[in-house]
Amino acid sequence: MKTNTIVKIALQVGFLIAGTRASEMAAEALRLPIPGSILGLLALFALLELKIVKLAWIELGAEWLVAQMLLFFVPATVGIVRYKPLIVESGVAILATILLSTAIVMAIAGLTGERSGRARGGEAAS
Amino acid sequence: MPFVWPAVTVLVYVCSKRLYARTRKLYLTPLVVTPAVVISLLLLSGSSYDAFDRGAHWIGDMIGPATISLAVTLHKHLHVLKKHVRAIAAGATAGGLAAVAVSAVLARLFGLAAPFMDSLAPKSATTPVALSVSGALGGVPTITAVATLATGLTGMIVGPLLVRWMRIRSSAGRGILLGTAAHAAGIAKAFEYGADAGACAGIAMICTAFVTLCAAAPIMSLFQ
Repeated sequence: MKTNTIVKIALQVGFLIAGTRASEMAAEALRLPIPGSILGLLALFALLELKIVKLAWIELGAEWLVAQMLLFFVPATVGIVRYKPLIVESGVAILATILLSTAIVMAIAGLTGERSGRARGGEAAS
Repeated sequence: MPFVWPAVTVLVYVCSKRLYARTRKLYLTPLVVTPAVVISLLLLSGSSYDAFDRGAHWIGDMIGPATISLAVTLHKHLHVLKKHVRAIAAGATAGGLAAVAVSAVLARLFGLAAPFMDSLAPKSATTPVALSVSGALGGVPTITAVATLATGLTGMIVGPLLVRWMRIRSSAGRGILLGTAAHAAGIAKAFEYGADAGACAGIAMICTAFVTLCAAAPIMSLFQ
């Protein structure tokens, strides 16, 4: 990566962090039932569509953040070490519930989505 | 030395990403390998979780900016989303409602007490939504945080298998399947199928968050 690109990504990520803080404060001040990050997502999408925020201002930084998303989940995952008693006591039942329900939800969501897409003659029937 | 653990975390992440890119084995996803290696290092070095968290919590704080960044994905793929708006709305609504009901039924079936049912019900929603819904229902946020995370992990590993077995061929169907059930972790996985699937997963995650916010309390009142 060129130095130029790295500087651009860093600046744009900084801008996106500032936007996150702003939307978190807005969601709190307005006592909205939705979290700040979802409010910020919707607000930034609207600003992009209205061309108030230009795509070029944030594109590199945003795509870098999305590409590294898994890294940002690591601290929370490592946090599992704090819940040893819970895992020992009810871990198997919790895990079974999570595994089965997630698979069922994915099957329902995936099939419903695929069927609705096909009904409209989308790309589904390839 | 507050910078050691974040440096270790990033280094392990970069290596595991390379490993995954080379092998493409589902169980070698960076979201499994990185925490496993970091936890092992924590335990081997005798460090506490607090020492890790003091240095590395800012890495977790980046989930917010990464979520907001999905606006760019949605903006760039608006034409795809417009084409699939009905499929996404139908899939995420059906999946979001099922997530709450099925989790509660299974939790009861496996003998878990009521606070566990309330804690597990919103786990397909994105973490901040799941936490606030869990609190409102009478669940334990700590359990919800762990369960939501485990749901994301499960979705990343089981999702691609279901895509293959159920022959979900459209990028919309794949994105809906992953984004509805497994929030941001599912989105990250969906991007491996392409930006279209990733964008559909992003919208599906947002729809599921709203469905969970609106429908979790009425559904859970049926289990009183």
